[in-house]
Amino acid sequence: MGGLHARNIAASPRFRLAGVADHNQELAGELAGELGAAVTSYDDILADPSIEAVVVASSTSSHLENVLLAVTSGKAVFCEKPLSLDADALTGALSDIECTSRPVFIAFNRRFDPHLRDLKRQFVEGSIGALETVHIINHDPAAPRLEFIPRSGGLFKDFTIHDFDTASWLIGEEFVELFATGSCLVDPEIEALGDIDTAKLILRSAGNILCVISNSRRTGYGYDQRVELFGSKGALRVDNLATTAVSRLGEEGTNDAPFPYSFAERYAEGYRAELNHFADVLDGRTAPATGPRDSLRALRLADAAEESLKSGSPVKLEGVFGDA
Amino acid sequence: MHDIAVIGAGRIGKIHAANANAHPRIRLKYVVDPVADAAQSLASATGASVATLDEVLADSSVAGVVIASSTDTHLDYGLRAIGAGKSVFCEKPIDLDLQKARAAAPALGGDAPLFLGFNRRFDPNFRRLYDRINSGEMGRLETLHIISHDPAPPSIDYVRGSGGMFKDMTIHDFDMARWLLGEEPVDVYAAGATMVDPAIAEAGDIDTAKIILRTASGRICVISNSRRSGYGYDQRIEAFCAKGLLRAGNMVSSTVETWTATGASSDPLQNFFLDRYAQAYREEMTHFAEILGGANPLVGFQDGVAALAIAEAALESHLTAAVLNVAH
Repeated sequence: MGGLHARNIAASPRFRLAGVADHNQELAGELAGELGAAVTSYDDILADPSIEAVVVASSTSSHLENVLLAVTSGKAVFCEKPLSLDADALTGALSDIECTSRPVFIAFNRRFDPHLRDLKRQFVEGSIGALETVHIINHDPAAPRLEFIPRSGGLFKDFTIHDFDTASWLIGEEFVELFATGSCLVDPEIEALGDIDTAKLILRSAGNILCVISNSRRTGYGYDQRVELFGSKGALRVDNLATTAVSRLGEEGTNDAPFPYSFAERYAEGYRAELNHFADVLDGRTAPATGPRDSLRALRLADAAEESLKSGSPVKLEGVFGDA
Repeated sequence: MHDIAVIGAGRIGKIHAANANAHPRIRLKYVVDPVADAAQSLASATGASVATLDEVLADSSVAGVVIASSTDTHLDYGLRAIGAGKSVFCEKPIDLDLQKARAAAPALGGDAPLFLGFNRRFDPNFRRLYDRINSGEMGRLETLHIISHDPAPPSIDYVRGSGGMFKDMTIHDFDMARWLLGEEPVDVYAAGATMVDPAIAEAGDIDTAKIILRTASGRICVISNSRRSGYGYDQRIEAFCAKGLLRAGNMVSSTVETWTATGASSDPLQNFFLDRYAQAYREEMTHFAEILGGANPLVGFQDGVAALAIAEAALESHLTAAVLNVAH
């Protein structure tokens, strides 16, 4: 993730990549060398008054600590999602982050995807009337390495977290009820590690808008990223994007080009747009589109999903999100 | 040639009568309807005679009856026709009352030649989807998405007598879920809402629902329902399998597209279930001809009861906001 952001920073006319820090010096050296930046340490970055902002793309468990260090050192922050896997820790840190008044942008890449943004624009402009229900399909091409599973935080916090944020963003209402069910259908090793690889969720918003989320760790056909909004006058949908527009027609039927397999490819434009947004934030043109409270909202939905999965019952959310 | 009678000369009775009339192995002998004008009009259009149900059942030349009368008569007419030795093609649902339906099991379950008309099983697209799931080419079926959104809501009078959205509309999707999963759903969670028309809420029903079914082996099915899409009859199924996805899409009213500076436009989706499932209704009549020739029904009484049991559990789940066990 750090490499992706660093390359986008180096390619952007609005930034200068001053340094790269990583516990793994070799990795830092390779990336810095490729992009003409210095290898440095996080302490040195924080102490350098010429550095205006940091991009936190370290492992998830270190996000919150690194963000707190950055804002208390006066830096603006761009932090990969999620800010934390622990809702209590995040709640406790909110005031420490916010009292610094430094901008903290939590990067949920879907919000910057041009296709989803156009979907939202059309819906806001009223092209399908009043929003009634939402379907979000988020299926990964292939399961992650097994060693990642124990430190991922589980499917809901690691993966569905995107969909919780997308649902909040598109619907614009708090959720009052959530039901999550999951199974291990892809790889029994994932179950042995205490996680699931397949899930379906139904969320109900305060205004009775129902949202379905579908997750799988393995499709067999690429990265399946689809959203449908059903409204009173019609539907809007974002479909998958094929890697090329070439189709082959033959005796056995038509074969279109496959879908992208990597998130970096599918959301390439979104990652560049995130950085552009962060440059606008640094220029004082806008506040961050998403911050620590958005990360907390998504995290609380993930916690509720885990509770629902364990209990086998829907979870009422009234009161839990009263502050959000 | 098999002589049959159609009971009920309403909208669906007319479809079955026309298909029976057009079928090379079936002769439509009688039309039965308490509304004399409706019966006479359909009989005249199809070259059949008007008769009473008693006359039909007493006529030994009649091999089969199509029950296309109102839902509350399905079970009674089905019992009488089976009792009279006729083969039966009965419209869905078998009944709106699970206890009452189950009580008919000794007569209608087992080997009774009762074919329940879940039309979607006979749609060529969904049949192809079923065949490809079961061919094993895509590996094991893991999860299923069924989208079934009507173009526009029915009249409030219809809603009042429908038995509620789950028994009237979702019943089709419950049957598709059972058929495609090849496994009984054991748990159901249903979230309903009234988003389309407050009059539907006043009538005690809902018009929007999302439902999750789970099977014993952990496979999951999502069903999405709306009484009004705003864009035609939305009938899609996606089957997520170990090796990839199989999906059946919507049927459009024509394949003509318009490409202009403002984008590409296609013609609307087919807007009416009688158009969307026209072929399925014909295939149903062909299957009934097979049954009249001695074949076993592909879908029967027990399937109707199983779908009704899921519908009852879904309603209870919606009302109590709890996950319900399906008592099969």
